[in-house]
Amino acid sequence: MDISIIPHPQGVTEISVSGRLNMVTAARVREAIQSAVDDNRPRVAITLEQVVFLDSSGLGALIAGMKTAREAGGDVRLVKPTEQVELVLELTNMAGVLRSFDSVESAYADA
Amino acid sequence: MPDMVTRTLRLTAPPDTVDTVHDLLDSVWGSVPDLSARDRMSLETAIIELTANVIQHANRGQGVHATLTVIAYQDRLEATLSDSGEVDHVDLEGREMPEADALAESGRGIPLMKALVDTVEHRRVDGFNHWTLVRGREAPDTDRSSTRGMPSVSITGVIDEMARQRALEELGILDTSPEERFDRVTRLAKSLFGVQSAAINLIDGDRQWAKSVAGDAVVEMPRESSVCTDTIMGDDTLVVPELTADPAYADRAQDGLINFYAGHPLYAATGERIGAFCIYDPRPRAFTEREQAMLRDLASWVQQELSVSQELSRAAEVQQGLLPSKMLSMPGWDIAGFCQPARAVGGDFYDWYPVGEGAAITLADTMGKGIAAAIIAATVRAVLRSAARFGDVTGAVNLAAASLNADLDTTGLFVTLFHARVDMDSGEVTFVDAGHGLTVIARTDGTIERLRSHSPPLGVDIDTEWEEQTITLEPGDTLVAASDGVLDLYDGSLDGLDRVAALALLASSSQEVVDALRTRARGTSSDDVTVVVVRRDD
Repeated sequence: MDISIIPHPQGVTEISVSGRLNMVTAARVREAIQSAVDDNRPRVAITLEQVVFLDSSGLGALIAGMKTAREAGGDVRLVKPTEQVELVLELTNMAGVLRSFDSVESAYADA
Repeated sequence: MPDMVTRTLRLTAPPDTVDTVHDLLDSVWGSVPDLSARDRMSLETAIIELTANVIQHANRGQGVHATLTVIAYQDRLEATLSDSGEVDHVDLEGREMPEADALAESGRGIPLMKALVDTVEHRRVDGFNHWTLVRGREAPDTDRSSTRGMPSVSITGVIDEMARQRALEELGILDTSPEERFDRVTRLAKSLFGVQSAAINLIDGDRQWAKSVAGDAVVEMPRESSVCTDTIMGDDTLVVPELTADPAYADRAQDGLINFYAGHPLYAATGERIGAFCIYDPRPRAFTEREQAMLRDLASWVQQELSVSQELSRAAEVQQGLLPSKMLSMPGWDIAGFCQPARAVGGDFYDWYPVGEGAAITLADTMGKGIAAAIIAATVRAVLRSAARFGDVTGAVNLAAASLNADLDTTGLFVTLFHARVDMDSGEVTFVDAGHGLTVIARTDGTIERLRSHSPPLGVDIDTEWEEQTITLEPGDTLVAASDGVLDLYDGSLDGLDRVAALALLASSSQEVVDALRTRARGTSSDDVTVVVVRRDD
């Protein structure tokens, strides 16, 4: 799994993830979100276009990151989830809480 | 398109992770091109959730071994995971998906897995968890209602492969060194049939491994390139006169190595086909009925050798189980021991157990090796254990000698024995040494005393009066009782005993002495090596 962190305007941080987001890699995603929050940039967009696999451990990391970001006045929003990621979000009833968007810009268009 | 695609993976975590499983699944999906994306991602996610759960929780952080088999049928997918985890109860029924708004970070794995497949089954058999996941495939040409939600009927296929794998692993033969008793059969087959190669091939998960090879035979290859993997599908001899001329085998032919093949299945004691005895050659050839009969005869010879391995490995397990597994909890004392038979089983044993305000310690050596010696050793142990409850040291040895005398007489065996009682408070050690004479005491001041034996071994003379002796272990003193195999670790003379005593003087615990001898004994000893170390704390 690869992670890159890309700053966007209006304090939005894009975290672009590729590969498998599972129990092996979950901690790194969690840390990436935490570091954005620590940098006072809690508006996080996770780009999942290149994520081939998400499991409940990876989902747990996203939920944990979202809680941290929300406490700091921000949020975690998903961008371009793949079919498998959508399947997991639906079956765990998390699709309404971890919301998905087409682009980083549209993810925080409401701000 | 084959009717079914099977892949098996054995994993040990750590170091394996769920990524190992992803890699296996990639190879399954590659072989089932018509699988729908939804089916693929559903089963993959379910399997990963299950594996992650097993790795994380199975042994409370200890390592876990697991075998995963995935079968893609035309109408459904089945995955079976067998793991060695201690957890024997998982609440599959009661696990519900956590509320989304509660933002729980965990607890979604099992409910997610259940949502992704049609059936989840868990059984605990023989200390293993067997998990089976079944998902009916989405396919326009199959009647979905007939497979969806139905319990799988062909789980037997998976269970058979699992049982086969278990039986093979229990044989304890995989990746062991070549053995002459097998090699002579492959050599004979090679020259008898005038072929380039002969092998005893075992089908292990996704590979073929040879216990014995003659000529150019290959020791290890992927299962998909193996012809023996077809031989084990049935009970008959498989003969392929010319691989390149047969569409089913053409892709398994190899220039200069294999174009003719004949093989006969080999079985575990419980009946599973675990491999094949085979011959092959780069030149096509005919194989007569008479030659087939000879091949079967040789295969049954190999079969008998395999059975011997199996029985011996069972016997070895039983014998190891007879050694004391628990430390004696005796305040102020530190006791350790080990026993390494030269063959699978041996005539040595040691034993200890609490008696009164102290402990009984035994080390015995049955003259002879192998199964006969092991049977006598087990009897001596049992008789001494029961006798120890009634009398003193001499009484126990008398009773043991009297009850064993007839058996020892019949078998012509005899037993040397060191049997002692240690008084926890005074440090007094009362013992009978029946012809053993391999016990030494290392004193804190650096002196080394050998305890002498005045009595013959058990089985020599029925009228022997067993002579009881007493010595005292002062704080810091160590008593070491050894079998003669320990002497062979040094120069074979009694001086070896002094070397062990010197080791005891330097060591800070009994276990250290045992570990040092165990290291020394590794792989080298031709005799059973047994030692018990009893140390009184400073």
